[in-house]
Amino acid sequence: MRHRTWSRWFLAIALLALIAIAAAACGDDDDNGAATTAPGGAAAKGFTDAGYKAAGFKTVTIDSGASVKIGVSSALSGDVKGLGVPIADSAETAGDGVTIKGHKVEFVREDDLCSAEGGPAAADRLIKANVVAVVGPICSGGTRASLGAYDKAGITHISPSATAGDLTTPSRAEGPYVTFFRVPVLNGDEAKAQADFAKNTLKAKTAFVVFDTDDYGKDLSQQFQNFFTAGGGKIVGSPAGYEKKQNDFKSVITSIKAAKPDLVYLAGFYGEATPFLQQLRAESDLKTTPFMGGDGVKNDELISGAKDAAENAYLALPGERGAGFANYATKYKAKYNGDAETATFGPEAYDAATIILRAIDKVAKDDGGKLTIDMKALNDAIKTTTLTDGATGTIKFGNDGNRAGAAVKFFQVKSGKYVELK
Amino acid sequence: MTPLFLAHGSAEFWSDQTVNGLTTGSIYALVALGYTMVYGILQLINFAHGEVFMVGAFAGYGVLVALGGEDISGVMVLVAIILALAAAGAASAVTAATIERVAYRPLRNAPRLAPLISAIGVSIFLSHLVDDGFLDGKSKFYPQIFPTGDLSAGPLSISYLQLFLIGSSLVMMAGLYWVVQRTRTGKAIRAVSESRENAALMGIDVDRMIVATFVLGAIMAGFGGVLYGLFLSSIRGSMGFLPGVKAFTAAVLGGIGSIPGAVVGGFFLGLTESVGRELLNEIPGVNLPNEWKDVVAFALLVVVLIFRPTGIFRQRETKRA
Repeated sequence: MRHRTWSRWFLAIALLALIAIAAAACGDDDDNGAATTAPGGAAAKGFTDAGYKAAGFKTVTIDSGASVKIGVSSALSGDVKGLGVPIADSAETAGDGVTIKGHKVEFVREDDLCSAEGGPAAADRLIKANVVAVVGPICSGGTRASLGAYDKAGITHISPSATAGDLTTPSRAEGPYVTFFRVPVLNGDEAKAQADFAKNTLKAKTAFVVFDTDDYGKDLSQQFQNFFTAGGGKIVGSPAGYEKKQNDFKSVITSIKAAKPDLVYLAGFYGEATPFLQQLRAESDLKTTPFMGGDGVKNDELISGAKDAAENAYLALPGERGAGFANYATKYKAKYNGDAETATFGPEAYDAATIILRAIDKVAKDDGGKLTIDMKALNDAIKTTTLTDGATGTIKFGNDGNRAGAAVKFFQVKSGKYVELK
Repeated sequence: MTPLFLAHGSAEFWSDQTVNGLTTGSIYALVALGYTMVYGILQLINFAHGEVFMVGAFAGYGVLVALGGEDISGVMVLVAIILALAAAGAASAVTAATIERVAYRPLRNAPRLAPLISAIGVSIFLSHLVDDGFLDGKSKFYPQIFPTGDLSAGPLSISYLQLFLIGSSLVMMAGLYWVVQRTRTGKAIRAVSESRENAALMGIDVDRMIVATFVLGAIMAGFGGVLYGLFLSSIRGSMGFLPGVKAFTAAVLGGIGSIPGAVVGGFFLGLTESVGRELLNEIPGVNLPNEWKDVVAFALLVVVLIFRPTGIFRQRETKRA
């Protein structure tokens, strides 16, 4: 009997110890994360002269009658094929009926498997195929591994979908690879815009953060915290994570009430934001505390569900349906019988290819039927592009290859409608 | 309260969290009663009970909307809520009786695992039927008709709604206890759960008593569904899953098969979730984020079960046919 009691105590203590260790480890993680992912300043240095010197730009000649080759590095087989094939199709859609000074355009597809191994292999094959520029790779891992190869070959590539933050802040003295650009709006862009908005427009000095514990919610909320604190703001209380389908936010709201923040920030989706807002506004002390959410929250169902509780909520929405979207959708449908609404990153791929095609057209010199292209000039032309009729809105690149001033719009719910704030 | 307790939150904070815990706990307790009663009589874990709770929430929602939704005011609020509770109890009861007839009774003498799988099947079927079949994945929202405002004394405050929730669920639980302890049906249910064969020999209609058990548990769950809707507003087909798991846990914690156990287990779990994590955070160096609240609650469950494997209220272990 005595023995059994002891073993129970042992079990109980072991269990608690395990949790304590896990909690402690978890805490450490957060600290490190905050330190290394700190935004702005030091890490983001942008393109440098040394970077341009390191890139192996050449001048290429295309024989008369030969076509201009554009590479597409995408996942054409394996698990991510469902994402990769529409991306490749969308990129090729942009070349429909396009000729460059009498030369046809030919797309060369290579399978990058969306992997760190596949990226460089595809890059190698594309470089050997004498492509002028490349759309891709599509995944962050493959992109990270092939940045060097494209740079060395002096071939400019635009990823439609690689969103990892560090791709444009690699740890090398020359700064970001000057041959790499990307189209997607990053979580960081949205978070930065939100943090600026909170500070400048809402005059918020303190914020309480609530987030969905999936990758999107975690990343967005972490980046918001980084930008907000970098801008002099203070995060009050401990950020509260929740699982999807969570309905009961009462105890989180009690913590918010105790923290008395200037702003309540939520990174997640409308399904949970709706009950959250209702419960938040049911608390008399928190009736007028500004609330801000992101792209996952801005949905008509937020208003139809939360009704009065949604009033005055601020929502950020990165990116947009650009002027070129309808055009893309029609062409994509005609050529591949594809559905533009469901082709994730398809519009981005279409825009990436469009930027490349127009830049080539701008810099290619007709030399008695032959075409000469200065790859450095092509790189410059891409860098200074302003695409106003993109499928994802206006596209410009910053001095680090990221989409610059990625359109992040702000809306406020007024009398049951989203009103854009200018 | 020692100063230690006030280290990171005001007295108001702790009082609010306690009230939150009691409110959530009262809903867990109402749902847990159904689990514990059905287990007591059939040794079956009725995994579809969370969906019975969901059906109640929707029935109550229907009544409130039919009576005018957000426009209900004054004394009509009370009338509307009583009607909603009645409709929810009835809808849940019919649902549970149907589930019992269709999914469990044909399997009464099958191996134990068969009705368990059948229960899980019914649970998934119902939640998807509502979510995908009727609602197209959208949520519905309870009209916010309950008068807002707090009753406060010093740092302690409780909203009228929470007071109503805790109070009414206690009344409902007391009602159930009275039915089980003091009525003929209750006595027959207890007899069947002691021994099905002996009860049958005494002339008790066992099948009817089993249905009665399902119905009683379902009424409590239906009430719980309406209170949940009034409190948290958002309802959907899958809403029963989480409270279902929590309530089942509460039933096990209290000692499955025991009615007072389910109630105590429900309140215990509710309080652990809201106050437990915050209390642990008072220990210097510990900072458990919100997403750890379930970890804390379930770790405590394991600890309780290590010491009391049959739950807080041990059931007599002698009864086995």
